[in-house]
Amino acid sequence: MPPREGTYGLLAEFDTPSDLVRAAQKARHDGWRRMDCYTPYPVEEAAEAIGFHRNKVPLVTLIGGLIGLCAMFSLETWISTLAYPLNIGGRPTYSWPAFVVPAYEWTILWAGLSAAFGMLALNGLPSLYHPLFNAPNFRNGASNDKFFLCLEALDPKFDLVETKAYLKTLDAVSVVEVEY
Amino acid sequence: MAHESHTKTLPASLNAPSFVDGWFSKSLVVGAIATVAALILAFLGQSQDGLGWEHFYRAWVLGLALTFGFAVGGLALLMVQYCSGGKWGLLLRRPLEAMSRTLPLIFVYFLVMGFFFTKKLFLWAKYPDAASTESALKGGLITELQAHCLNFKRPMLSPEMFWIVCLLCFAIWALYTWRLNKLGALRDTQPADTTPMWIKKLENISGPGLVVYALTMTAVIIYWVMSMDITWFSSVYGLLFLVGQGYQVLALSIIVAIALSKEEPFKTLLRQTEQHDMGKFLFAFVMLNIYLAFGQFLIIWSGNLPEEIPWYLDRIRGHWGIIITLDFIFHWLIPFSLLLSRDIKRNKKRIVRVCQWMIFAKAFDLFWLIEPNFKDAARNLHFSWGILEYAALPVAMTAFWFAYFSKQLKTRALVQTNDPHLAEILEPEHAHA
Repeated sequence: MPPREGTYGLLAEFDTPSDLVRAAQKARHDGWRRMDCYTPYPVEEAAEAIGFHRNKVPLVTLIGGLIGLCAMFSLETWISTLAYPLNIGGRPTYSWPAFVVPAYEWTILWAGLSAAFGMLALNGLPSLYHPLFNAPNFRNGASNDKFFLCLEALDPKFDLVETKAYLKTLDAVSVVEVEY
Repeated sequence: MAHESHTKTLPASLNAPSFVDGWFSKSLVVGAIATVAALILAFLGQSQDGLGWEHFYRAWVLGLALTFGFAVGGLALLMVQYCSGGKWGLLLRRPLEAMSRTLPLIFVYFLVMGFFFTKKLFLWAKYPDAASTESALKGGLITELQAHCLNFKRPMLSPEMFWIVCLLCFAIWALYTWRLNKLGALRDTQPADTTPMWIKKLENISGPGLVVYALTMTAVIIYWVMSMDITWFSSVYGLLFLVGQGYQVLALSIIVAIALSKEEPFKTLLRQTEQHDMGKFLFAFVMLNIYLAFGQFLIIWSGNLPEEIPWYLDRIRGHWGIIITLDFIFHWLIPFSLLLSRDIKRNKKRIVRVCQWMIFAKAFDLFWLIEPNFKDAARNLHFSWGILEYAALPVAMTAFWFAYFSKQLKTRALVQTNDPHLAEILEPEHAHA
């Protein structure tokens, strides 16, 4: 794929989460869809405001957890009954109470790993480059104390001049153009 | 930027809404119906197998343990939130205070058991000295193991010590209830600059209070529930009840908070964020509860010692296996699976359903703990009218308790005003990380 060129989008900066949420709600209401919010900490309402939809991470986590549970429980059963049966205090070789703890631990382990890696995979992370880091105010503020709304050029409504004026009406502190 | 503020304003009246009076009268009606049912069941059971009243006494202990969990567990959670802080604590503070103020009713329930039922329920009350134990052993009424345990445990398990310890514990809880409730009311009458002092002061009372609570609660639960089987011992027993009280109290608090949120002031105060937080907290109790319960089982199962294992065999064999399996499903699997879901925790109607289920599951667990202690039921689950007593009498006792609780809830404003969290709760949900 040839490198992309041109404008990635317009980045509006806000000082407070309330302003960001308000602007994002307005933009969505006005028909914008290709947009994203960037905040230093999770702001649930901002995600809702831009129409955040469900993702597959919970499903990946559940499947991972069940795989871990089945894998460990089967492993223990196989070892204790077939591979290396031992008489421990006269108990049956299939003594499920003893299997519960490792099986549970593996459920947690696999669910946790599936959640973490599933999240990264579905996020597209790790990503070595993102155009927004071209904006100096984003570089300095996005993980600190600034709140950003980016309207992306892929949106059919996007027009460099009109969109810039539109973002100004949302009371942004600043609006900058971001190149790919 | 000239935007209007998102901050909500504090409702003019902070008193409990008028429908709380409805709770009072409704629970009295439920209590009356359940009492009649309990009496009918006792007579039916008596004519069926002569154990109707026995089951009445046992079900009384279940009701006592359950309502005791709400009242003194409420006091404990009140102390926890003073130590931990947090906005959920501010929301639940007044409901928890109201729960702790129901202690007199628990005391009455306890006195009834102490005066009239102990001889029927506990071997140590029936055979309070070495001579009576000896003759009971000769008469074949108790086993040698039971006789040995009776004699060995007599320094603690005797009628005199029962009264001394229980009355002392009630006095200690009453002291904490009185002190925390008095200071909680006084705090609201003082100006805002006293807030740091109050936070520190209440934390300093509550911290040691929690340690005292853990010890007193364990002692009382050993007398009331554990000593029905004189031969058994488990060092995690008190802790199991402690976590169980957190489980039931938090479930009830969520139900109450959401029910109150139909009208002001909780309509404004209960945000989804705090509801979600309480749901997560509840989930933690569900986990801790099964962790301890299964841990105890696994250790005793692994040891397989003749001193310990009969307690479990009494509760597994003879169809009790069905009950313990259901107990596991009701008590852990269902709340665990449901509370995993973020949507359920954030949905008022659904989380209330989960909480109601959990309170039922707690009572079901107590049934499994109490009934197999007795010779007629151990390793022999069988239906009788008396078994239904466990459904009727605890409902009656809990309904009367709830009536008392809702009366207490009406006596104070529903939220503490002298607290910095109040301003935060009025802010929009996205304002804080």
